[in-house]
Amino acid sequence: MTEAATASEPAPIPGHIPESVVYDFDMFRDPAYLADPHKRVIDLLENAPPVFWTPRNGGHWMLVSHAANFEAARDCEDFSSEVLPYKEMEALLDQLADETGRVPRAYPINLDPPLHGIYRKPLQGVFSPRTINTMQEQIRAMACDLLDAVAGKGGCEFMSAVAEPLPVKVFLRMLGMPEDKYPEYRALVRAHLDAQALPGAEGALQRLQKVAQAMRDTIEERRDERRDDIISMLWGVEIDGRATTQEDLENYGVLLFIAGLDTVMQGIGLGVRHLAENPALQQRLRDDPSLISKATEELLRRYSFTVPPRRVARDMEFQGVQMKAGERAMLFLPGADLDPREFENPTEVNLEREGAHIAFNAGPHRCLGSHLARVELNILYEELLTRLPQFRLDPDKPPSFNCGHVVGVEQLHLVWGD
Amino acid sequence: MKIRIDKAACVGNARCWAVSEELFPLDDDGYIDIEEFEVPAGKEDLARRGARACPERVIQVIED
Ligand code: HEM
Ligand code: SF4
Repeated sequence: MTEAATASEPAPIPGHIPESVVYDFDMFRDPAYLADPHKRVIDLLENAPPVFWTPRNGGHWMLVSHAANFEAARDCEDFSSEVLPYKEMEALLDQLADETGRVPRAYPINLDPPLHGIYRKPLQGVFSPRTINTMQEQIRAMACDLLDAVAGKGGCEFMSAVAEPLPVKVFLRMLGMPEDKYPEYRALVRAHLDAQALPGAEGALQRLQKVAQAMRDTIEERRDERRDDIISMLWGVEIDGRATTQEDLENYGVLLFIAGLDTVMQGIGLGVRHLAENPALQQRLRDDPSLISKATEELLRRYSFTVPPRRVARDMEFQGVQMKAGERAMLFLPGADLDPREFENPTEVNLEREGAHIAFNAGPHRCLGSHLARVELNILYEELLTRLPQFRLDPDKPPSFNCGHVVGVEQLHLVWGD
Repeated sequence: MKIRIDKAACVGNARCWAVSEELFPLDDDGYIDIEEFEVPAGKEDLARRGARACPERVIQVIED
């Protein structure tokens, strides 16, 4: 890849932003970042200001330090999750609906309090640790099937063989969708992933419409005949005292699709890549599987991988820099969780580490699916270490990565043996 | 030793509960279901670990 092909045009630096807080970083195309994402994250922590403005991709803020992320994540008044203020956005989407059909809304991830809470509350029980724990054995069976299919092969491309199919299968099963939707959903996830790695939102609305379309029949069926699945549960909840509608159900389905599939997949990819490079850690976890849940946590911190966007809601000073209403700010959680001001020896994977990472963010938007994600990751690591022999990276095919709002592994070629 | 929790600021991710289901009970929605309690003798360490595990830092340990 050449430098020229990868850089986006820089935007002019606005007058209120001093040179000292400008740092050139393209979160979609930076070559070093694409080559080995978290290595570049560490470099940013060492060499870029803790809060900086980059002229790339139209120009935006990057919040790199733990302190900046923790504060901004909990301050929804100043850092809005609404791309446009709610009323403007609704008007725009309604207008679009006249041309293209209804556009599903991924509430509550793109709403601010108090509306945010109204749409989040009904999901809370559905994703509580208690509900998720009842899913464990089903998830384990799916993980085992995928791993057994590759165990005898001497190696595999792990993303397409295991990391991508597992969350899609779990998703379909949990929602209660028919198994034959699997190929359609894999394709939709693929399209979503490819789009994630690009700036801008081309085709995003159509993709969301397709996701909603693919679940429409199941949603209608469950309205009249409830089963033991999430779609049925969501027909039974209330939003602010009113019954849910077909539109609400489609919105929630789209939300879970964009929040719960590629995330788990990338978490698995980044974690397994670390294990492949660290045979001693593999051995330690094989010898004492009770350490796996600690490893899951520590790998989430070491390779935090989501970059949630915010809109600066008013002119203000934030941690020493001047921000203006309407500017965009990225919560660069990979930086927060590798910040040496917060974590001692941050690059070390230390199973005895205490304290809390923010891979699932902090504040009101903190990941609703974190219990499910942890269960999926834990079970996958447990079964991986039981069912596969020692594994390592294929020396002839090094891993490749993708970057953007979700940072992850594109291809992960593994071979068995030491 | 006492634990005091800023219940309104809990976002329901149960990291405290993962340390000790007994000390940090959750309500049906998965939010913390207790505001203040006296830590039983012998559970001080568990209580401290639960507090440190909270990503929101809303669990406060009040040492005697
Ligand atoms: C390792 C995997 C995962 C990671 C690292 C992760 C990370 C995150 C982060 C950082 C946020 C906050 C976004 C923001 O502040 O704008 C979030 C929100 C959310 N996540 Fe996850 N997530 C994961 C898996 C899941 C799964 C499996 C589900 C459910 C099926 C899920 C559902 C959600 C939902 C519904 C929200 C929106 C919450 C709100 O806005 O109140 N996530 N996630
Ligand atoms: S760890 Fe903190 S935020 Fe999570 S449930 Fe416990 S008190 Fe609430």
